[in-house]
Amino acid sequence: MSLTDLLRTAFRSVAANKLRAALTMLGVVIGVASVIAMLALGNGARAAVDATFQSLGANQIQIGQRFAMEDGEFQTTGKTLTFADGLDMLATIPLVERVEMSVSKTVKARFGKNTVEINTIGTTADAIEGIASSGDIQPLGWKSGASFSTEDLLGDGRFFSADEVYAGAPVCVLGYQTALDLFSGDNPIGETIWVERTRCTVIGVVTELESTDVQQRYRSDPNEGLLMPISTVIQTLYEEEPSVYMVVHVTDANRISEAKEQITSYLRERHQIEQDAEGNYQDDFDMLTRNDILGQQQEAARTFSLLLAAMATVSLVVGGIGIMNVMLVSVTERTREIGVRLAVGAEQRDIVSQFLLESILISASGGLAGIVLGILAIPLAAALNQGVALLYPGSIPLAFGVAVLIGIVFGLYPAIRASRLDPIEALRYE
Amino acid sequence: MSDVVIRTEKITRTYSMGDNVVTALRDADLTVHAGEFIALMGASGSGKSTLLNLLGLLDRATAGEYWLEGTVVSTLRRDQLAHLRGRRIGFIFQNFNLLPRLSAWENVALPLAYRQGEFRGQDQLNRAREALSRVQLDHRLEHNPTELSGGERQRVAIARALITQPAVILADEPTGNLDSNTGVEIMHLLKELNEEGRTIILVTHDMNVARYASRIYQMRDGVLKESESAHVTH
Repeated sequence: MSLTDLLRTAFRSVAANKLRAALTMLGVVIGVASVIAMLALGNGARAAVDATFQSLGANQIQIGQRFAMEDGEFQTTGKTLTFADGLDMLATIPLVERVEMSVSKTVKARFGKNTVEINTIGTTADAIEGIASSGDIQPLGWKSGASFSTEDLLGDGRFFSADEVYAGAPVCVLGYQTALDLFSGDNPIGETIWVERTRCTVIGVVTELESTDVQQRYRSDPNEGLLMPISTVIQTLYEEEPSVYMVVHVTDANRISEAKEQITSYLRERHQIEQDAEGNYQDDFDMLTRNDILGQQQEAARTFSLLLAAMATVSLVVGGIGIMNVMLVSVTERTREIGVRLAVGAEQRDIVSQFLLESILISASGGLAGIVLGILAIPLAAALNQGVALLYPGSIPLAFGVAVLIGIVFGLYPAIRASRLDPIEALRYE
Repeated sequence: MSDVVIRTEKITRTYSMGDNVVTALRDADLTVHAGEFIALMGASGSGKSTLLNLLGLLDRATAGEYWLEGTVVSTLRRDQLAHLRGRRIGFIFQNFNLLPRLSAWENVALPLAYRQGEFRGQDQLNRAREALSRVQLDHRLEHNPTELSGGERQRVAIARALITQPAVILADEPTGNLDSNTGVEIMHLLKELNEEGRTIILVTHDMNVARYASRIYQMRDGVLKESESAHVTH
């Protein structure tokens, strides 16, 4: 029989039992939708990691105080990771090229009658470069993805120097909005403001910024805030030594694991962390490299993807068995029809093609519906995984191919069975 | 004498039922020439349908030999039998055996649809129209079998048997599901077709139907015998 004749026959037969065909498709629909969602999650995780690559350089190690849940609150553990830890690390470990450090604290700032409550960031001079290269923020209206320097971040005046950081100079750089709030539009450069009970000279104003991540724009305003030398902040705004956040730059990105080990033993020694009875160290700091983030992201995506893969497999197999079942019923119902077809000259392969095409039609229709459902379900999958999901274009032909394959695999047995019917018995069948 | 269409020599069909062997057909010799109209008569279970199935290549003989237009069929594979059946045999059944989802013309064209690439869609329609007009049903092309009367259905089935210009038309109780008037119409139609040169073998238990044939065979307990009362005309 010609393909058009076969297709017409298959369409009519499926159309004659629309509800049955639709119910039969369900398994394939869910299975294919899972495949689409699964691959979208993997694709999204990859994209997220790519984004992380921009913010954390290959030669950088983030170090922060370790927090632990205690009495229902996150508490710092062990000894404080101090400014001095960072300075001495730079002096002691040759692989360490630079240590950017920062602390942050919410403070009251006042000029004249204007008072604002804002986040003060105390940083080393080079941490500003870190902010510039973080990829989290950009000057307002900056072309997305284009790089910019620390100069581009500055609206007016200057940033503080390394010397001012060492000296603990009472200087500060204002966020764009904070400058407006405190000075009501007057030029703030050279003026003195009060930060809590410390006098501080304004030496610069940051240009108006925006978050690169659109969603972040609703959460915090990068234009509210105050930058000061980290030493000044620690001396004047804290009663106890605060824990600092560090970004260590290593001289050679290929030796980052080596640097990590050296920093670990350096910090363990300084914080007197001994091996416990089981040979473990109870570190009071956490280190993170690009590879660590990559691993975490992949781990999260992998767990959820595995779940979806299991769901897809189960649905597809169940869907396939459903198709086989319906096709077997269909063959039985149409025994007489098969007998007639055999009597008028149908060969075995004609009968096989007819029933196989019918099961492929069911599974392929299910596949198409599943692709639509899967694309619609991508945001849901992203939300459940608390991650990113991005349609992987290759998943559409793949999912469709899987659906067709299911139709072939599970339709083959009923089709062969139909073709092997004895014509006389088939014609006699009531 | 004209060409021999069918010749059988001692064909036998036995069935094993557990330990018992039942002989449905025993050493049947039959020769049918082109243009003949033959009736096989007998009670139910006499073996007449068994013989018709063998002649129609729907079944294989346990023993004996069968030549269809000179071709030995016992050595043919299943698909070769199907191939031959679709081209050289036309079937007419008691219960019509039309496919309910196909229109009248599509039912008629079905044997052509299985002849790979020989007939395009338009060809099939034209041939089906021709065959349907032969049975005076060309005004019913697009009707479904359910929209047709019993007599009309059987005429569609006859058109289907005619469309391939088969060597022989095998009719199994063609009037069995029809009222007597319609049955007579159908028999007249078959008689006409025979007069146009079609070779027909008819299975019936009804003498009134068998009378249309030129030769009558009797089947009893699997044994075939030409009837003494042959050459009865209506």
